[in-house]
Parts: sequence; C-alpha cells; structure tokens
Amino acid sequence: MDLLNELESLVPELERGIGQAFSLAELEELRVTFLGRKGRLAQIMTRLPSLSPEERPAVGQKANAIKNSLTEIFDARKAALEAEKEAAQLARFDASLPGRAPWGGSLHPTTLVQEEICGIFQKLGYDIAVGPEVENDYYNFEALNMPPEHPARDMQDTLYITEKVLMRTHTSPMQVRTMLARKPPLAVVVPGKVYRRDSDLTHTPMFHQVEGLMVGENVSFAHLRGTLTAFLRGVFGAKTQVRFRPSFFPFTEPSAEVDISCCMCGGKGHHSNGEPCRVCKTTGWVEILGCGMIDPAVFEAVGYDPKTISGFAFGLGMERIAMLKYGIGDLRMFFENDVRFLSQFV
Amino acid sequence: MLLSLKWLREFVPFEGSAQELGDRLTMLGLELEELAHPYEAISSIVVGHIITCEQHPDSDHMHVCTVDAGQGELLTIVCGAPNVAQGQKVPVALVGTTMPGGLQIKKAKLRGVPSFGMICSERELGLTEDHSGIMVLPAESPVGARLVDVLDLDTEVLEIGITPNRADCLSVLGLARETALAFNLPLSLPSLPLVECGADIAGSVPLTIADPELCWLYSGRIIENVHVQPSPMRVRHRLHAVGVRPISNIVDVTNYILMELGQPLHSFDLAKLAGGITVAPAVEGEKFITLDEQERVLHASDLTIRDQRGAVALAGVMGGLATSMTAESTTVFLESALFKPAIIRKTSRRLGLSSESSYRFERGVDQLGCLRSLDRAAALMAAWSGGSVRKGVCKVEPKPFVAPVIPFRPARANALLGVELTEEFSQQTFAALGCPVQAEGDTWQVTAPSWRYDLSREADLIEEVGRVHGLDTIAPVLPQLQRSLDDAALPESPFSFWMRVKRWGKGLGLNEAVNYSFVGHKDLDHLHLPQEGRISIMNPLSAEQDALRTALAPGLLQNLRTNIAQGAAGLRLFELAHVFTADASSDTTAKETSIIGFLLYGSRYDSAWPQQEADVDYTDLKGIVEHLLAFLHIGGMQCQLASEPHPYLLPCVNVLVGGQPVGVMGRVRPDMADAFHARKDVWLAELNLDMLCTLHRAASVHFSALPVFPPVRRDITVIAPATLSVQAVLDYVTALKLPLLEKINLIDLFEPEQAEERNITFRLIFRHAERTLKDAEVDKVREKIAAALVKDLPVHL
Repeated sequence: MDLLNELESLVPELERGIGQAFSLAELEELRVTFLGRKGRLAQIMTRLPSLSPEERPAVGQKANAIKNSLTEIFDARKAALEAEKEAAQLARFDASLPGRAPWGGSLHPTTLVQEEICGIFQKLGYDIAVGPEVENDYYNFEALNMPPEHPARDMQDTLYITEKVLMRTHTSPMQVRTMLARKPPLAVVVPGKVYRRDSDLTHTPMFHQVEGLMVGENVSFAHLRGTLTAFLRGVFGAKTQVRFRPSFFPFTEPSAEVDISCCMCGGKGHHSNGEPCRVCKTTGWVEILGCGMIDPAVFEAVGYDPKTISGFAFGLGMERIAMLKYGIGDLRMFFENDVRFLSQFV
Repeated sequence: MLLSLKWLREFVPFEGSAQELGDRLTMLGLELEELAHPYEAISSIVVGHIITCEQHPDSDHMHVCTVDAGQGELLTIVCGAPNVAQGQKVPVALVGTTMPGGLQIKKAKLRGVPSFGMICSERELGLTEDHSGIMVLPAESPVGARLVDVLDLDTEVLEIGITPNRADCLSVLGLARETALAFNLPLSLPSLPLVECGADIAGSVPLTIADPELCWLYSGRIIENVHVQPSPMRVRHRLHAVGVRPISNIVDVTNYILMELGQPLHSFDLAKLAGGITVAPAVEGEKFITLDEQERVLHASDLTIRDQRGAVALAGVMGGLATSMTAESTTVFLESALFKPAIIRKTSRRLGLSSESSYRFERGVDQLGCLRSLDRAAALMAAWSGGSVRKGVCKVEPKPFVAPVIPFRPARANALLGVELTEEFSQQTFAALGCPVQAEGDTWQVTAPSWRYDLSREADLIEEVGRVHGLDTIAPVLPQLQRSLDDAALPESPFSFWMRVKRWGKGLGLNEAVNYSFVGHKDLDHLHLPQEGRISIMNPLSAEQDALRTALAPGLLQNLRTNIAQGAAGLRLFELAHVFTADASSDTTAKETSIIGFLLYGSRYDSAWPQQEADVDYTDLKGIVEHLLAFLHIGGMQCQLASEPHPYLLPCVNVLVGGQPVGVMGRVRPDMADAFHARKDVWLAELNLDMLCTLHRAASVHFSALPVFPPVRRDITVIAPATLSVQAVLDYVTALKLPLLEKINLIDLFEPEQAEERNITFRLIFRHAERTLKDAEVDKVREKIAAALVKDLPVHL
C-alpha cells in the first residue's frame, strides 16, 4: 500500500513546511506544491488508475480525507498569518495624523448677528425687508418727524450726496417705505447698513442696524415691552434682565432706551475677582437699543390714521450686539477684514 | 448738562445722594452719564494757621513757618511765596498728598531746613490761574477743616444727558423741577432783591423788531457804574465746577444765569451802541466780527441785533467784538430775548458756531422766564460789580406766549401704554408737571407750561404720564400676529436669499468680508474705473472716503494688503454688498446693485500637510463661480475671454448665462496688484447678484432617471496648438451628436512651457439606454471622433 503511505506522509510533511512559511506568499507556494493542479496530492492521484479496482475505493477515500486535512492546515495557517498582518498594520496606523483640512469658511460677525436677530423675529411672525442705502432726506428725516432745522438732526451726523440725498443714517426710513407700500396690520424687521459722519474709537462711519416695527390696531407699549423682552432673552439668554428708560426719538412717542443686565459681569458691575466691569462701567446695565411707540406725525406722513392705528418701532446696532456676544473689544476690527479675525466666526 | 448737587439744593431741598438723584432722573428720561467730583484732587487739603513766620537762614525769599494744621503737632513748612505772613489762614497740603498737577508732597529739605508740607497758591490747587502768591483764607476758617468745605465748593457734579426735546432741563432750575417731581419736594427760586435807582429807562434805548416771527420777545436793562473785575471767588469756583471758564464779573453773570435758569443773555457796552436796537435779518454779504475775533460774512437768513451802524450781535449765537464789554466799560445794556429756534440753528450750523446760547435757543427757551432771568442777572451784576441797576425795563414782545391747550383722553393713554392708570394719578402728574388740567369727561384739557416746548399733542402728554408712572413698570405682553393665508407663499426675501448665498460661501470655505461702501475717488482711479456715473459724498470724513464704490474690488484688494501685511500666505474672501452708480431715474438718484465678489490669492491650502504646495489659479476661481451657479440651479454658464480691455482684470473673462452677461472674473492686472503688495497672482470675480437671484427664481430642479446599463469609458489625447481652447474641442465633439456618447470631460492637460502645442486628454463616456455596450462598437465611435477631430480641427493625435 505505497500509495496509502505516500498519502499519509503528506500531512506531516506539510506541517513541517508550514512551520517555515512566515508569509502569505510562502504559504501560497506550499499550497501550490501540495494542493495545486500539478501538486503532490494530484501527482499521487494520477497513479490511482494503476491500482486494482478493489484497492481504489480505500485509496480514494484516504485521498479525500488527506485533502481535507491539508486544506484545514492551510486555512488555519493562512488565517493566523492574515491576523498577524492585520495586527502589524494596525500597529502602524497613526491616528494622531492631522486631518486633511478642507478650506475653512466664515461669516462676518455682523452677518451672524443679523441672521440670529432676524431669525428670532421670523419665529415671532415678522417679515424681513431691505431697502436702499442711499436715501432721500424725506424718508430719512422729514417723514420721520424731523423737518429741516430740527435739533434732533444733530443726533445723527449725516453724509450727504446732495442737499436732498444722503447716506441713510438709520434703517428707520424703511418704516416709512414699508408703511407706504403695505397696509396694517404689519410686522417687519429690516436689517442693513447705515452711515454716519463719525469716526473714532467707538464709531465707524458705516455700521449695521436692524429696525423692527409692528403696526395695527391696539398695539401698545406693553406689547413693545413683551416683544423686546422676549427678543433680548432670545439673544442674551433667559436670565437677561431688561430695563426700559424714557428717552427721545423724533419718530416715536413715548420713546425709550432699553438696557440689559451686563452680560460680562452678570449685572453686578464688578467681576467675581472684584475688578470693575469695563463694559457696563460698573452700572450693571448695558444700553442695547432704542424704541418707542410710532409718533402720530409718522403715521400722518404715510397716510395712516393715528386715531385708529398704533404701533411700535425699535432699532439696534449689530456691531454693538456682536461686541457684547463675542467679547470683541475694538470696533475697528469689524472692517479691517483680517482673516485671523474673520475666521473666528464660523 | 453739568449739574452741581449743591446748586440744585438752592432750588429744592433734596437730601439724598448724587447717585440716588442720578438713578431716579435716569428713569425719568434724564440719563446720568457720569458722576464727577471736580475738587476730589484737593479734598485732602486742610486749613492751616501760620503761628510763626521767620526768614529762611540761607535764602532771601523763603520763609520758615510753623503751621497749625490741626494735626496735633505743629508743622514746619518752608514757603517761598512773597505774601506769606504770620497769622494767616492758608491751605496746606500735608505730606502724602498728590496735588492736582500730579506733584507728590514729601518730606523735603529746602536749603537745609526740613519742610513737612506745602502752603498752596490757587493755581496749585487748580482753582484759578492765580500764582502770585499763596491763597489766603478768611480769618474765621477753622484750623484743620477741609478746604473744599471752607470754600463751600461744588464737589459733586452730575453729568446729565439731555435729549433734544428737553431744552427745559438745560438748567439747574429745569432739573430742580424734575427733582421736585421725582421726590415730591417743593420747588423754590433763590431770591435776590433787585434794587433799582435813577430815572426809568423806558424809551431810552428804542427797540424795533422787524419780523415778530423771528424775535418773539426782546428786553433789556441798564446797569451803571460797574467795575469789570474777577467775580467773587465762590462764583468762579462754581462756574469752574460745571465746566464754564470764569472770565469777568459781567460775563460770569450771564453764564451763571444761563446755567442756572437756562436763559442766554448778552451784555453790550452801552457806550458803544449807537442809537436804538433793531432785531432784523443781516444784509446779504455784510461783514461782522464776532466776540471770538473772527470775521464772519453774513447772509440775509441770519438774524442780527443792530444799532444805527449795523450788526452788533448775531442774535442768539454770539455777540460782536466792537460793542462788547471791556475792562474800561462802565455801563451795561443787558439783553434777555427770545428768538425763533430754527433761525438760530440755521445760522449756528452755517457758521459752524455752536455756543451754549445757540444750543438753548435752538431747542427753546422759556418765554415767561425771560424777564425773571433779566432781573436776577441785573441784581447779580450790580452785586458783583459794585454797579447799580437803572429803573425799568426796555421791552417789546410782539408775540406773547400763548399756552397750548391739549386734549387728553385717559382711555387712549391706557390703550397706548397698555396699562391701567387711574385718573387720580394722571391728574396729580399733570399738576406736578406744572400743567393745569380741566379733567372733565372722556377728553381732558391740559395746558402746557411755557418751558415745555415738547408738549403740544396728546401723544406728548401720554409720554409724560407713562414716564412718571415708569415705562419700566408696564407689564410685558407678547402680541399675537395676524397673518394672511397667502403669507406663506410670498417669495423669499432678498435678505434670506443673501443669507443662503453667504452660508454657501462659508460652507465652501470662503471668509466673508465686509467693507465700507465708500472709498476714495483715487482708489477707483487706481483701478481705472470710469469716472462717469460715480456718486460723490458731499461732506466726506476724508479723501479716502469721498466716493461710493462702483465695484467691490477696491475693498477686497485693501483687505488683501491688510492680510499680506499680517503674514497671510493665501486668502479666499467673498463679499456681498451694494455698489452704487448715478441714475437719474431712481427716486434716490442712485442705482444700487447687489454684487458678490470673490478674491483668491496665494497658497491654495491653509496648511502644507498633506497636500502639495500650490498657488490658486484661474481654475480655483472658475470652479467657485461654477459651483455658485450650480448651487442656484442656474445652467448654461458660458465663459468668454473679454475682447474689450477690462479696467483692472487681465485676462478678463465674461461670465454669461443664456447669452446675458452676469459678471466678470480674471486676474488683477499685476501693476495694479503691486500697489497692494501682492507678490503672486490675484484672482478676482464680481457677479451681479440681483441677476443671479432672478435667474435662480426662474430655475427649478428636475429629477433625471438613473441609467440602468453601465457606461464604457475611452480616453483620447489630441495634440493641439496652445491657442486652441479646450472648449472648442469639447464643443466640436458635442456638436457631432453621436448617439452613444453620453459625456466628454477634460482629464489632463500637458503644457510644456514655451511650447506652441499642448496635449489635451479627454475622457469619452459611452452608454446605451437599453443594453450593455460592446467594446468593438465603442472603439468604432472613438475612432470616428478621432478622425473627425483631425479632419476639422488643427489637431493631431
């Protein structure tokens, strides 16, 4: 039974060979040698016809069993080698490599603040409108109850194009344009650029405002307080205290300035380390916007009847909000467009 | 408005602190801006008594004094003042004191004699300019007392922001009225008896008012035998505390009354007035020298006070030099008048001459207080100058004050404020404000006082009751908005469209810049932008900001310079903004166009790892523009090399959609980019965002069914002259309209420098909608394309 012996000897031979195979390539070579089409097993099997018919079934069975054993040995070794390889690869994987950075974009802080503010008012049901930046004296001043030689014009130093055309000093002319174009009830916010003839540490000749107005029947100062309180809590947090101080704007009556509790020192006037708060100058309050009930003279200018219609309006500066929200100390940085500044606002 | 607490207490018995007062006034609409302590720097100066005063052994001008400053022991102080003498009461700065000028008082040895402090002059104390000798205090001054108390200085000054409607609060009296209202205190005017003598002056200075609309009241008094000299010390210190420079007793009286009662006054030297006084507009072109020694050319719109010779004062703004009081003057004609606010403002603005007087006249001065102020001023002037007030007043009042009677509906007030005020509260408030009320029925009649120019309509009265009630105590209510069924279908607002584009730009990795809308004409000139159609600023802050931008390039290039200066290797900016051109058909004479601008410069990547170092080029810029149009669903973008030279781009590529130009992109001309310190190519695009918005609104998204059968790809490389555009080859192949060819893409470009030819490699993508393609049929089409290219285009394979 030479063939049977030969077949049986294949297993220990392979086991010996596999002990020397340390790579998948070497293992593959062994597989071809033993199990390939012209391998050792196949060669033994070519001699099967030379056996007598009685001997053949036993040898055939043996051959199958040997083939299975060989295959098992191979597979086990192969799996072990693959696992080793994977482990080696894993050991080399450097998770600490810096990522391939995509381009990092950013939005200007005034854009972020405008978006947030307009978003809050949209949630409250307001429309968003925009208007021209070059404006007529009529819309910017006269229709807003500031006839020529009105001392309130001093409150806003104006850049003029001609005697009657100017760079809008506030977004309030859009109150007039909106009311002329639409009928009450209406609720609109107007974001945009505004211009003043003023340039120093705390003023830039261009800045951004958001104007808001609500007009209808029975709109009251209580509504104004409710709206602005909700809005300011939305922007500065639910714990924000809001204070309304009487003030003066020619196009609202009564008028008020709104202060919020200082978000730098928590309204205490001093930081926890005892340092005086510079933002609120230790008062605990920060002036944030101007507002009031729309003056009857404005309603008359747009052909609304002040006896039946009332409304409120407010306006606030975006740079100021951005400075408070993000802790930006220097107003001039807003328009230098240094990417080290810009890229912080993603 | 600077308000001395001590001065205020002469009008109203307010016992609280300055902070308390300021806080309450703030909530009444009179904002406390700052609490100042003008004499804080000398608060530690004490009264000393010079017990002995001996000549310094080693100096002929210094004295060695022994001073009792209430310190328990006598101090030796060396003093160099010529007027120092034994027995004087003097201000003493003790060791450790910091003087207003910053000088630290230390123990010192002066020519060998130790000195423990300093005896001060008025100038050293910051009180006056007097440095002729030490300040000598009244003999009864208590030793060791604080100087600020002995001199009764105004140590607490509130700076109150007065809004333009509250001219009545531009005086101690006005703020005293509000204080009385706020704390429910009685108000009283300081009394000073006026002693008149001599013959009545009625008619001695004839008064004429040309236009009663311009001058409502003109009055005057004569004070004789005055001696022009410094005012009493206390007056000078008080004026100094509220920011007024003491000048002479005559001028100081007018300033004192201005601050105290809010009435601007003017003193003429009566001897220099020729004939009577006329209030009339100036003669056009008339020259006039004001008190500040400036020659002014007057217009017929300026109101003047005139004598027989011409203008003697710019009414309500400033007096004239020729008739002003001098040291030699002895007789004053003291004017107290009232002018139309608008005309004062016009003159003051035209001449750029804003005085304390014009500031108050512009905003409105109390007509009924005019004569009271005149009398008090005359009495003070007599008292401070040793003069005497002549009997009588010269006065014309062509337009006497008529108190406005204003209807007030309590129900309307409650509705507008959203609060329930009782009728009793409103009545009390009006009474406290000095407004007589007829409270009958639904509509009351409220009479406004003469000092409240801001009360003329019901809304003004509602503001008053609201303000006194406290705007901060009205309960907040969030209103319900009524919306219509159509509101949800309204088109997207331009703001929301801009926001989406901005978010796209940020998402793409660009940094949003915001630049001023104005630039200098020279910035526009530098980029060769046309002069025509530019809009200039009439009163620019500087030449750098005298024109509205007609392109975004000037601002973006400025940002490039800023960022290169701070060391940026690359830059990717975008900006959305209006540009401005003159347009006669616009109601504002300006056409505002929304532009989106891009600027790319330098390194393509922010970090060297793990990409290869490369600079941005045209394909980066074009890719961004293409991506934007795709984002907006705008198809059919074409690029054409501009045939006309562009002001600042070379090459300049016109971007067209459906044949319509929507913008440009290209490289900033290197000579122009140099000025912004660019060392590499600067790529810039500007697109009309209004047009893109219109195209975007018209565009829609349509789903295409997915192909079922796989594509087959074949590449083809042609060698083409460097001047042949890739697009020409693409267009040619597309135009062949081969049924199996789905797409042709550029995949490689090999362009040796200086070579006249370049290799262009395309990928052809074939697909059949209903079956899988065979290699042979695809190869056949590829061969057909190759043959056609070689035949019709100047290319070879």
